[in-house]
Amino acid sequence: MRPQIVIRYVGFVLLFNALFLFLSAILSGINMDSALFPLLYSAVVTALLGVFPIIFVPGPDYIHNQEGLYIVVSGWLLSCLVGALPYIMWGGPFTFTNAWFESVSGFTTTGSSIISDIEVLPVGLLFWRATTHWIGGIGIIVFMLAVLPATGHAAMVLSKSEISSLAVENFRYRTRKTLHILLVVYLGLTVLESIGLLLAGMNLFDAVTHAFATIATGGFSTRNLNVAAFDNALIELIIMVFMILSGIHFALIFLAMTEQAKRLWNSSIVQYYLVSMGAGILLVAINIHGRVYEGWLAAFRYAAFQVISLGTSTGFATADTAIWPGFAMLVLIFFTLQCACAGSTSGGIKADRMLIFWKSFVSQFRKLRHPKAVISIRLDDTVIEPPVIEAGLLYIALYLIVVFISTLVLAFMGIDALSAFSGSAAAMGNVGPGFGTVSSLANFSLLPAAAKWVLSIVMLLGRLEIFGLLMFVFHRFIR
Amino acid sequence: MKIRSKILLGFLILATMLALAGAYSIFEFRLIGTSVQNLLDDNYRSITAAKTMIEALEREDSGLLLMLSGKWKEGRETIRSADGAFRGALETAGNNLTIDGELNYVNAIRNRYKTYARLWDRPVDGADQQGKLKWYLTEVHPRFMNVKTAVQSLMDLNDDAMYDTASVLKNRAHRAIMPGIIAILSALAFTIVFNFFINIYVVNPIISLKRAIDHFMETNEPVRVTVETRDEIHELAASVSDLTSMARISR
Repeated sequence: MRPQIVIRYVGFVLLFNALFLFLSAILSGINMDSALFPLLYSAVVTALLGVFPIIFVPGPDYIHNQEGLYIVVSGWLLSCLVGALPYIMWGGPFTFTNAWFESVSGFTTTGSSIISDIEVLPVGLLFWRATTHWIGGIGIIVFMLAVLPATGHAAMVLSKSEISSLAVENFRYRTRKTLHILLVVYLGLTVLESIGLLLAGMNLFDAVTHAFATIATGGFSTRNLNVAAFDNALIELIIMVFMILSGIHFALIFLAMTEQAKRLWNSSIVQYYLVSMGAGILLVAINIHGRVYEGWLAAFRYAAFQVISLGTSTGFATADTAIWPGFAMLVLIFFTLQCACAGSTSGGIKADRMLIFWKSFVSQFRKLRHPKAVISIRLDDTVIEPPVIEAGLLYIALYLIVVFISTLVLAFMGIDALSAFSGSAAAMGNVGPGFGTVSSLANFSLLPAAAKWVLSIVMLLGRLEIFGLLMFVFHRFIR
Repeated sequence: MKIRSKILLGFLILATMLALAGAYSIFEFRLIGTSVQNLLDDNYRSITAAKTMIEALEREDSGLLLMLSGKWKEGRETIRSADGAFRGALETAGNNLTIDGELNYVNAIRNRYKTYARLWDRPVDGADQQGKLKWYLTEVHPRFMNVKTAVQSLMDLNDDAMYDTASVLKNRAHRAIMPGIIAILSALAFTIVFNFFINIYVVNPIISLKRAIDHFMETNEPVRVTVETRDEIHELAASVSDLTSMARISR
C-alpha cells in the first residue's frame, strides 16, 4: 500500500470540505454572526492541509482496492474531524467530545444532537451543520468523484469502496454514469424540495437547510422543536414525500424520471419498502388513536410523519414519541432497524436485505417441506446467488450484534435499557432519535462523554456498513 | 513543481496557520481586554453606586428613628449626610446608563426617593410614642422599602449584565485559545506528513541514486532510477543516467 496516494486523495476530500466551510463562512459573514472566524479559520486550515499533498504527490495511474478502502475510511474520519473544528472554536456547548459527536452525526446523516438550544446557534454554524448532512448523505467520496473531472480508474475503485455493496449490484452503469445519476438525482431532489418548502411558507434559509437534511435523510433541524416548530401540515407533507423519495434507489428514480416510470413501481424492493411503511403507519395510527390523539386525522398525520421519518432514517420529528404507547414504539424501532432501500441516502439494515431475509425464510420453510426441491430466491427477474444471500444475512446478524454490544456498553454506563437500545439502534441505522432520554424531541446532551464516543463509533460503523471500518481498523490482523 | 517551491510551500502553509491563529488570538485577547474594561466601567460602577444608595438609605432610616426617639439634631445630621451620599450615588448611576432599560430603573429610584424624602420635612411631631411608631410603620417604612427594592432591582440588572459579560468573556477566552491549539495540532500533523513526503520524494530517490551510482562503479551497469516527480531529483536522475551512459561509451 502507498500511504502517499491515500494522503493525496484524502487531500481532495479535505479541499472539498474546505469549499463548503468557505460557503458557510460567507453566509456567516453576510449575517455578521459569531461563527465567521471559526468557520473561516477551519476552512483555511482544512484547505491548506488538503492542498499540500495534492501538489506534492503526483497523481497515480491506478489505485489498489486496499488503498481505496483506506482513502474512503480516512476521508470519512478526517471529514468528521475537520467538521468538528468550527464547533470546537465557536465554544458554547461544544466540548471536543460534543463537537466530534455533532460532526459525526452530521456527516453520517444520523441527526442526533447534543445541543439543547439549537436556536441560539449562529446562522453560519447552523448552515454548516446542515451542510455536513448534505455532503455526507450521498457519501463524501462519491460527491467528490462526481464533481471532480477525470478521476478515471480511481473513481471506479473509490466508488466501489464507498457505495453500499447492495447498491453497486443494482447500478448497472459505468462508474462515471453512476456518479452522474447520483449527483443529478441528489441535486434535483434538493432543489425541488427547497422550492416546495419555500412555497409552503418556510424562509429561504430554513427551506434549504431542511431540504439538505431531508434529501440526505439526516434530521438536523434549525428549530428546537424540529419540524413540529412549523406546525404546518403542508410543510410536513412535502417533507414526507421527499423523505420517501430519498429512501428509494437513486437509479430507479433516475429511470422513472427519464424513461421507464414503471421500473420504479415494478421493483419488488420499492413495493416492499412502500407496503411495509404503509402497514407501519396504519398500525401506529390505530395504536395512538384515542390514547394520544383524539381524531383519526391527527393520529394518521403524526403516525405517518414519524414512521416515514424513522423508516427512511431521517429522524425529523413532529411529535414526542417518548409518550406514545409501547406497541407504537416497537413498530418505530422496527423501522429504525430496517430503514429504506440500498442506493439511496438511507442507513439501517435496508429494505433490500430485509426482503432477502424474508424470502430466505420462506425458501427455508419450503425446503423443510420439500427437501429435494431446488429453490432459488429471486428479486424481480434476477436470481440472487447464494453468496449474496449469505452476505446479506451475515450483515443483518453483524448489525444486530453491534447494536446489542453498544446497548450493553451504554447500559453499563448507567443509561436505562430503552434509551441504550433505541439510542444504539438509531445510531447504527443513522436514524437519529431513539426513545427514553434520547427521544425525538430530546437530545443526547445528558449522556456521559464515553457514551457519546461509543455512539459516534456506532454511527460510523453504520454509515460505512460495518466491514469498511472493521477492515480499516483490523487490516493488519486480518490477512 | 520544483523541490524548492514544494519546501517553501510547506513552510508557508505552516507559517500561515500559525500566523492566522496568532492574529486571531491577539484580536480576541484585545476584545477580552475591552470587555473587562467595559465590565468595570459599566456594570461595576453602577453596582457600587447601588450599594452606596442602599447604605445611605439604611443610614437615613436610622436618622429618622433617632429623630422619632427625640434625638432631633443628631437624627437631622445623619439624614443630611446620608441624603448627600444617596443623591451622589444616584447621579453616578444616572450618568452610567449602559444597559437597555436602565434609565427606567434609575427614574423609578428617583421618583420613589422623592416621595420618601418628603416625609423627613414633616416628621410627626407632638404625638406620643405609640403614634410615632404607627406613623413610622405605616408611612415611612413602606416607602423606605419601595426605594430599597428599586435600588436592589438596579443592582440585580447590573449583576445579570455582569454575569452575561463574564460568560461572553469566557467564550472569548475559549475562542482566543482554540485557534492556537488547532494550529499547533495541525502543524504537528502537517510536519509529520511533510517529513514523510520529503523522505519519499527527496531522500529515498537520492539514496536510490547513490546506490545505483555505487553499483555502476562496481559493475559498470547503467544507472536506472525511477523518480515519480518531475522536479530537480528527476532531472538529477536523468543527468546521472546520461553521464553514466557516456562514461560507459568512453570506457
